[in-house]
Amino acid sequence: MKREMGSRPLMDFSLSRLVRKIFFRLDERLQLIIVAALVGLGGGYASVVLNSGLESGGHYLNPLRTHWYAVLFPAIGAALSVIFLRYLVRDIGVHGVPEVIYSISRRGGLLRFRSSFSQLVSGFLTIVSGGSAGPEAPVVISGASIGSNIANLFYLKDRQRTVIVGCGAAAAIAAIFNAPATGIAFALEAILGEWTPINVVPIAIASVVGTEVSRALQGNQIPFQHHSFYITNVDLFACLGLALLTAVSSVLFMRLLRIVSSNANTYIRRAWVRAAAGGILVGCIGLALPNVLGEGYEPIRRVIEGEYASGILLAGVSVLAKILSTSLTIGSGGSGGVFAPCLVIGSFTGLFFQRGMHFAFPQVTWAGEGYFGLLGMAGVTSSVLQAPMTGIFLIIEITGGYDVLVSVVLVSVMSATLSHFFEPHSIYHVTLIERGELLRPRTDARVLSELNVMELLEMDCQVVHPEMTLRDFARIVETCHRDYFPVEDSRDGHFVGMIHLDDVRQYLFDPGLYDAVLVDEIMNRNVVAVSPEDDLQDILRKFDEIRSWSLPVIQGEKFLGLISKATLLDHYRKELKAQEAE
Amino acid sequence: MKNQLLHVFRNTPFGRETFLQSLYFCKMTGLHLKVFFPTAPQFLMYFAREVVTVDLDKSFLQSPETAKEHAEELIREAGVDASFFEPTRHTASTLPDIPVNFGFMTCSRNIGDLSSKVGLGHIGPRVRTIIKNATFPIIIPTSVYKEWKGILVLFGGSANALNAFRLGAKLQALSGLPLKLFSYTEKKPKAYYKKILEKSGLLSGINSEGMEWKFIEKGSFSEGLYHVSHDALVVAGAYAHGLIKELLMGNMMEDIQTILPNNLVIVGPHYNEE
Repeated sequence: MKREMGSRPLMDFSLSRLVRKIFFRLDERLQLIIVAALVGLGGGYASVVLNSGLESGGHYLNPLRTHWYAVLFPAIGAALSVIFLRYLVRDIGVHGVPEVIYSISRRGGLLRFRSSFSQLVSGFLTIVSGGSAGPEAPVVISGASIGSNIANLFYLKDRQRTVIVGCGAAAAIAAIFNAPATGIAFALEAILGEWTPINVVPIAIASVVGTEVSRALQGNQIPFQHHSFYITNVDLFACLGLALLTAVSSVLFMRLLRIVSSNANTYIRRAWVRAAAGGILVGCIGLALPNVLGEGYEPIRRVIEGEYASGILLAGVSVLAKILSTSLTIGSGGSGGVFAPCLVIGSFTGLFFQRGMHFAFPQVTWAGEGYFGLLGMAGVTSSVLQAPMTGIFLIIEITGGYDVLVSVVLVSVMSATLSHFFEPHSIYHVTLIERGELLRPRTDARVLSELNVMELLEMDCQVVHPEMTLRDFARIVETCHRDYFPVEDSRDGHFVGMIHLDDVRQYLFDPGLYDAVLVDEIMNRNVVAVSPEDDLQDILRKFDEIRSWSLPVIQGEKFLGLISKATLLDHYRKELKAQEAE
Repeated sequence: MKNQLLHVFRNTPFGRETFLQSLYFCKMTGLHLKVFFPTAPQFLMYFAREVVTVDLDKSFLQSPETAKEHAEELIREAGVDASFFEPTRHTASTLPDIPVNFGFMTCSRNIGDLSSKVGLGHIGPRVRTIIKNATFPIIIPTSVYKEWKGILVLFGGSANALNAFRLGAKLQALSGLPLKLFSYTEKKPKAYYKKILEKSGLLSGINSEGMEWKFIEKGSFSEGLYHVSHDALVVAGAYAHGLIKELLMGNMMEDIQTILPNNLVIVGPHYNEE
């Protein structure tokens, strides 16, 4: 009996070794495709789990929303979500999709395993209780984390792992919207930031697998039924005005979200209290305008169907209320994404615009409210994410119609361009850019991030001491090929300054000074130094600022060596070559 | 940063003992001490294939206003070359990333509060994960400051043990202290262990320097550990990695650090000598 129990794991172990052996003999592209398909399954299941959870939760909670105490639901949900994250799974500091982009940008796509489930639970708690947020961010993080950890299981390289993380995000988006092309566009445009043949194939595979999982488990449903619209040239012309309005809504949303996020912490220190306070405010807004609660797919459907309650003012107030409630939910610490709120804000903006135009020009036959609602969704999504292709594909896929394609492209591109003047970066990138953490592929910063000071350190330097005479120094110069001479205190070995040959050349040719001048008198004490931890991008900037070719590397007060611009650029070139070869 | 030892500072009396141990290690080896003062309850370490989230208990965040002052005072007294580490990368604003290219790292037996219930006799799960992933050795100091007068390598014949031996030789060269080998034979002949070292080209070094190699042939491994001198810095490989190996025999490392009151240096499976 004992033998049987003991032999089983050994059999599994050798089986896994055999599978790995076969896997590693495959072509790298085939390896990526296989892993992408697995990640597609994981991402698809993650989104189905959250979607089903939200549906079931909504089924039980929706009947209670008519009671007065429903105002507390978003507060309870947001507080529970924070408590779950901070105290139960200790997934502190997760800031949604930016963390996925950061891991791709800086950490070769490494993500924590706990993020694969923690965000689903916290997102569920926030959204099902009525918090104004979307389910996409939790599923994107979950899918990306599944991808990262599966990539580790298969010992994939950093570069491959980043693609697989993108696959996880693509599968999640594709599954949640039943929209494979949107998943591909989102992963390439918003997450990875580059469209290359190596990226596209596995991401497309993952996206399709994710969609199929969703279709198999939830049915092949288009989220919003397509309607034919009678579109005239006047409507097309009006698209320009709508693009301007969606750009304004987007900028307003991004700024308000940032204001709430950065200030909420100042007023309330405890995270769960802060989230609860945000939730109460959202609950109060929801009392007057229940359409702003939750992910908001139902109001979108009504806008597209032309069934939304009448009134220009109501549409305008709905836009502002949705912007405010989403900013409060996410900014105060609730879990969830901005994708679905962007769609709701966009549909309300389109509705407001259509009603405004109808009021101003009653003699014109305008296309329906649904048409402008759809265009508004594309405009706001494209602007906030700075990803027009994602916006375009999303609208086409979730409505299942192509007759609005020209208008959608027009509004998406125009809106993204206009909002770019005021908010040049995507909502996902802005915090990373502020922290200097966004390194896009094939940029200087990305290449330099792969190198560090210690591997460029030149240690063959001739150290001199302050009490040396110029004669001693001249002797050293004779035999040394370097232009820079670090000066160290002979008692404690601390770095005290540096001599650059160009600065002392005049003295070296005057033998009369040889015994009269000490190194102490000719050395430069105000030397710009760098430390082993410094970023090479900052060091390169220092080289340019002070027009120097070499800088001393100091650790504590000890001189370690020199870093030269020539060596740095030489390594840069080699690293660039290596990255291109990958 | 291979010549640096990372120490996560804890501003408590026990933290001071650990810090003194790091200072002593740097003093003996000439390493530069890098001191990190945590300001958030977590930090991340991005290793090659795993992100390790280190959950710190409250004591690590205690009295931040006096932490630097206390550390400076101890550094001055020890006369060790040290500097403070400020994280420049953050996964999120309250989640700093700690580089993983240090030469050594000191980990008290427990870093995280989740494992504190287990007690001081066991290595906490986070420390185990760091050992499993790190390319640098981990120093697990005694709870109370204790100087070491020699280096002793526990050699069991595994790849990790070979790395431990290489590290022991490196520490011997840096500190000038005598190096000893210690093997529990596990019913294998002595020649088996000698052959392993010979294959790796390390046996000649032992013979030429007349290094003492103690074999324990009788009794259990735990009993054999009595023969380890009390004032030696013990260098050991992280025995067993991988789920099955860990389940079957993974408690060897636990045995060593539970039974021995010595300062330990543990070499993990991903240790990179370079």
